[in-house]
Amino acid sequence: MERIQMRRQLALMRQSFFDQGFLDEQFIQLEELQDDANPNFVEEVVTLYYRDSSRLILNIDQALERNPLDFNKLDNYMHQFKGSSTSIGAKKVKAECTQFREYCKAGNSEGKKDKLGPWRQHVAQGIDGRGQKKKQDLTWQNIVIDKSKIHTFNHQKNGCPSGITMFWFSM
Amino acid sequence: MDMSGGSAEGNDKSEGQRFSSKNKLTALVVDNGGVCRAIQTALLRSYGVETEAVEPGEAAVQLLASGATFNLIIIEMLLPVLNGPETARQIRAMGAQSKILGITSFFDGRQQQEFLAAGADGFIEKPVSPEIVIPIIWELDN
Repeated sequence: MERIQMRRQLALMRQSFFDQGFLDEQFIQLEELQDDANPNFVEEVVTLYYRDSSRLILNIDQALERNPLDFNKLDNYMHQFKGSSTSIGAKKVKAECTQFREYCKAGNSEGKKDKLGPWRQHVAQGIDGRGQKKKQDLTWQNIVIDKSKIHTFNHQKNGCPSGITMFWFSM
Repeated sequence: MDMSGGSAEGNDKSEGQRFSSKNKLTALVVDNGGVCRAIQTALLRSYGVETEAVEPGEAAVQLLASGATFNLIIIEMLLPVLNGPETARQIRAMGAQSKILGITSFFDGRQQQEFLAAGADGFIEKPVSPEIVIPIIWELDN
């Protein structure tokens, strides 16, 4: 009975990710690739995504600390990040990558050091998707319920897209 | 070659059937992103296409230079060292007749021109989805 309830809870959580716009139909394509020959495919790919994304965000963080900003390097990181996010169906992350890149392009073409200013300011205000103000400091919120449920990681830092949510299912 | 559309003929999972290539087709995925490589490879294999995946462009060139042949080669635009168009150019220079599909995360007209000039047959923005892949497989199959 507990197992059934847990599965129902997971199904509702999964649906909420689509309803809130975190996931798109590409995630369903990913799920459809899981079969008897690849029984853990979704978990493997999402775990890989989380690992790669963590590395990319770290690279972006470090690149944002440089003076002057290397927009080509930032562009490359965003290219990789958007590619994997798009492929996995991480809709909101994909959108943030696109916006970030627009700021990079603007900064690069005008030769100004911090054309990321407006975008940085937006993040600095700590406005997340729900319009609530948060601290500007680096915080990792690692909500681990237990291994059989959804692990959600929030990364909020000044200079990085707020509201990036990475998740993986462990069924 | 029409890379933009085509019907997903026979792709009706609800009736227990899934589109699959009739002939033995082979594909090579060239992408430095692990997630993208995994998903593209799995997608092609799910349609019965024998698929290999490599990370750098040089590995793809070496593979073909060693005698391997592929019906379809999917190449990411931004590869380290040897980029996508240059990889495609070197593959074509060896006389390979494969269908080459260039892919990228952010569509750019100049990149498209570069890829097509290098010998690619098409250029799309990710994701590589069934809507893209099935018409290609169908065309190769027939």
